Amino acid sequence: MTNAADPIAHDVEMDVDPSPETLADEKKNQDIAAVQEIREQIRQIEKSVASKESRFILRVLRNLPNTRRKLDAVVFRNLAQSIYPTGADREAAIALMPVLEKDATELPDVTKKLAATKAPIAEVDAYFYLLLLVKLIDANDLKRAGTCADALMAKISIQNRRTLDLIGAKSYFYFSRVAELNNALEGIRAFLHARLRTATLRNDFEGQAVLINCLLRNYLHYSLYDQADKLVKKSVYPESASNNEWARFLYYLGRIKAAKLEYSDAHKHLVQALRKSPQHAAIGFRQTVQKLIIVVELLLGNIPERVVFRQAGLRQSLGPYFQLTQAVRLGNLKRFGDVVSQYGPKFQLDHTFTLIIRLRHNVIKTAIRSIGLSYSRISPQDIAKRLMLDSSEDAEFIVSKAIRDGVIEATLDPAQNYMRSKESTDIYSTREPQLAFHERISFCLNLHNQSVKAMRYPPKSYGKDLESAEERREREQQDLELAKEMAEDDEDGF
Amino acid sequence: MSHYYKELKSEWEKRAPNLARCGQLLDVLKLELVRVGFASPQEALQPKSQQQMVMSRDMLEIAVEHSITVKDYAAFERYMAQLNMYYYDYDKYLQASSQMYKFLGLNLLYMLAHNRIADFHIELERLPSALLLENPFIQPVLALENYYMEGRYNKILQAKRSMPSAIYASFMDMLVNTARDEIASCMEKSYDKMSPKQAALRLGLKPGGADVAAIANKRSWPLDDQGNYNFIGLHTKPKEMVSAKEIAGNTLTYAHELEKIV
Repeated sequence: MTNAADPIAHDVEMDVDPSPETLADEKKNQDIAAVQEIREQIRQIEKSVASKESRFILRVLRNLPNTRRKLDAVVFRNLAQSIYPTGADREAAIALMPVLEKDATELPDVTKKLAATKAPIAEVDAYFYLLLLVKLIDANDLKRAGTCADALMAKISIQNRRTLDLIGAKSYFYFSRVAELNNALEGIRAFLHARLRTATLRNDFEGQAVLINCLLRNYLHYSLYDQADKLVKKSVYPESASNNEWARFLYYLGRIKAAKLEYSDAHKHLVQALRKSPQHAAIGFRQTVQKLIIVVELLLGNIPERVVFRQAGLRQSLGPYFQLTQAVRLGNLKRFGDVVSQYGPKFQLDHTFTLIIRLRHNVIKTAIRSIGLSYSRISPQDIAKRLMLDSSEDAEFIVSKAIRDGVIEATLDPAQNYMRSKESTDIYSTREPQLAFHERISFCLNLHNQSVKAMRYPPKSYGKDLESAEERREREQQDLELAKEMAEDDEDGF
Repeated sequence: MSHYYKELKSEWEKRAPNLARCGQLLDVLKLELVRVGFASPQEALQPKSQQQMVMSRDMLEIAVEHSITVKDYAAFERYMAQLNMYYYDYDKYLQASSQMYKFLGLNLLYMLAHNRIADFHIELERLPSALLLENPFIQPVLALENYYMEGRYNKILQAKRSMPSAIYASFMDMLVNTARDEIASCMEKSYDKMSPKQAALRLGLKPGGADVAAIANKRSWPLDDQGNYNFIGLHTKPKEMVSAKEIAGNTLTYAHELEKIV
């Protein structure tokens, strides 16, 4: 997502065709601005620690996707001077930094007044390493990133400060990401478990949420559904986790449930995951979830609506799934086989292949249902021909099971060798409508409750009546800003 | 340890191994295995313990076969769980066992025979998907599951002969029995009446044999005047009662929720 914007910016620069000096100048100005911005963020963090008010840190972290784009080697060198006093700490930080580009102009050394004289507080230290880690991941310098992540974890592990929790949570995520890129996820499992234990004991909710997600991702990476399922059962996911973490968690939960054949649960979780994910950004996440929802819905015996496949941004990636849905809807076994063999590798990449293999008998069920509706009497040979089965015996057994499972209302006559459809019973004489009605009502109520829970309120708005008009104006201004930030955060957080 | 292992191996490779003796040897070996701490992965890099791990893996493979022969299925599950560790977690340190897929397929079949479909699929997820449709040990089991879900039970009855290994037979028997039960329950729902000969044919049993009569007895299928099984009596569904308590409960929940909204 972030990369999409870059080529455009690049194009614009090309059009203007600036001379090398102005380009260098521009770069230098950008660097200076970035350094100042990060200094401001560091002041915010310090303020937050001093006042024990975590929302300032939250605000800084929300800006991470923006900050991330502005980082480069020059900025880091300059920052290190103002954060770390001369000595081993600074050397260690500089050793991890990305290499300077050849044509980069160094910023002038920071003045004596700004240069750090004493060691930074733990939060600032961690934040600096977090920025460094993110930059190293972006620069694809995985070896250094690994060292940096380990150093960051060592810094966080020895501290016991509540103000560090939020930065810690973000750090876990990138730590696990580096391990994934290095293909070493297996090795960090024990560490993550240890951190999760600590986070749970210290009521570090954000950390808990991130760590559980990292562990689930870790397990699912190796298809260890059993272990993942046990982790979910034995741990409590913190209610107050952020929406984005919830969306991830619900997605993992959906995958586990789908693997365990609990399709209706899986469907419920996946739909919620989709609803909690940001509406305009995070296309990749929405595509992945939507694919899984389609397959699970097909496994449930429902046919997804056509609108689903037409959404902008999803249309192309859902193409194979559209074909699949059509094959199931028509009950056409041949076409189903074609789709599976044609898109097999793609389904395997999406982790949906094993679910799709299970779909075969749904296709057969649909086919039998349509045969049952259209013929009052038909011989097993003809059914076998229509389903493209090897023999009429196969067909007879399949129909017999379909009758027992209530797919169709019919009887088989072995002596005269045909299947006779019964008059379908009046569905309104059964409890079916009542159950369906109940299911829908509870779904709506659940949806409403979830939406209410998902709403966020600006903090401290309960003292509304006690303030003067001027204070109110100021507060409203702040609220507006906060709301805007929240909206931005939802889009950038992915 | 290697002494016992050699004895076990040579005993097991005889045409008619002494099962009791093998059991004793296995017990001794299991104790030894605990003593060496199951060879933790850190140690595995040294050649000596690697050799030990190969040995304990081979021992577990024999143990699995032994447990099937003596029909101790709880032990089978235990051994399989231990063996899985060697197949999945230590695969970086060891050369893959030549029998690996045979045992993985066996495990899948075991789950299927016990109707543990969810576990079956979770095991399946661990295998690389390219294998599923090609491997000579995995693919037939996967096909069986397909037949089972679709209802082509006749294919299951026939499949016993085409299994890739002789030790699959014991679980196949279990699966066939499960399938027979399914066929019987399908028959009584989908046919009005049927001659005993036809029924036997569908169950894959000898016509006129005692087995058919036993199943008919167990499911209390009545015989009519012409000597056919008559299922019509079994079709009538019990009349559904409207459960007042449930409806009242539902309505109260709605009211409660609505109150929260308004």
